[in-house]
Amino acid sequence: MENETGGDVKNLWQNQQAEPIQISLAELHQKAQKLEQRVRWRNLGEYAASAIVIACFGFYIWKFPAPMIRFGCMLVIAGVLFVVYQLHKKGAARTVPAEMAFRTCLDFHRQQLERQRDLLRGVWTWYLLPFVPGIAVFLIGLFRWTMTLPHAPAHARVIIITFALTAAACALVFFAIGKLNQWAAQKLQREIDALNEMEKES
Amino acid sequence: MNLDSIPEAASRQDQLYQEAAASYGTALGRLARGYEADPDRRRDLLQEIHLALWQSLAGFDARCSLRTWLYRVAHNVATSHVIREHRLNSRTMVGIEALETLPAKNDERDRDSSRESNIDRRHALAKLLLLIHQLKPLDRQIMLSYLEDMDAASIAEITGISPGNVATKIHRIKNVLTTKFHQGEDHGK
Repeated sequence: MENETGGDVKNLWQNQQAEPIQISLAELHQKAQKLEQRVRWRNLGEYAASAIVIACFGFYIWKFPAPMIRFGCMLVIAGVLFVVYQLHKKGAARTVPAEMAFRTCLDFHRQQLERQRDLLRGVWTWYLLPFVPGIAVFLIGLFRWTMTLPHAPAHARVIIITFALTAAACALVFFAIGKLNQWAAQKLQREIDALNEMEKES
Repeated sequence: MNLDSIPEAASRQDQLYQEAAASYGTALGRLARGYEADPDRRRDLLQEIHLALWQSLAGFDARCSLRTWLYRVAHNVATSHVIREHRLNSRTMVGIEALETLPAKNDERDRDSSRESNIDRRHALAKLLLLIHQLKPLDRQIMLSYLEDMDAASIAEITGISPGNVATKIHRIKNVLTTKFHQGEDHGK
């Protein structure tokens, strides 16, 4: 009876009305090109954003005379270049389609999820931390330079509060980005655990 | 187009793809149906599978058969799609074991349809797809491969689950199919 049902259902499945899909080789070539183009545009967007930040801090180096501010700007620019390099490196490690065939379905998905999880978990070291020294030195330098201005002593309290708030806002943004990424990594970890559980069950 | 100008590797990739699409194109359509119920999104998924397959064939080194290669790529693309959709919709997916214990839905419709006709293929197929769409990715891969008449060893090679465990899963699949598809007949008798 079991075999009979199995056979009937297989028959039903295999003889269902097919939805024909005709993709010519030319269309495939075109689709692959479009996909590459999309990736290229996304990368270009990232590079353009980095170029704007570098241009801004380059302008500050020229504009501000204080050596500490200039040093802070150089550190920020170095941080941007480091992050761009990391983005480029991590982007290049994307899955090659042939990898889908080299790995079994179970392995492939675990690997995909683990890669994303590690990227999110490491966001502090490769995305946030590189900016911290530059921004800190820049803000301290800017504060010291502001305090040397002729009218500064009269407005010392306002200046101190403004800089304290700016520093706090920067710290808050960094903390929020780090925390959001950590949550996303935890969510992925739960999915990985579920896959491992599935493997054990099977 | 001057065929001589096409590099040898690229022409081999195209040739392999054409061979695969000719032999398994219809099966890939069925596979996409097992992963996506919405016709438009299914068409997109099927195109994504074909594109990934063609791209992957640039690295085909005959370490496994073309069939195993094709099904691994197809299931991996389709499972990525399901996981992506699942993350967006938070739809619950269950293992084949859970389906064994789930009560059959649409009992009244089953009874009526089996009285009228034993082979209401469209209704039966819809019921089968409903079952498949509830399954977790790995169990779904096994179910779909079983329906394509693959043996446990082939399914194991594609999914990475041991042949013994695949055999157990198949046994459960058969139980589920027997329960769900013979229920109507039994009621009718």
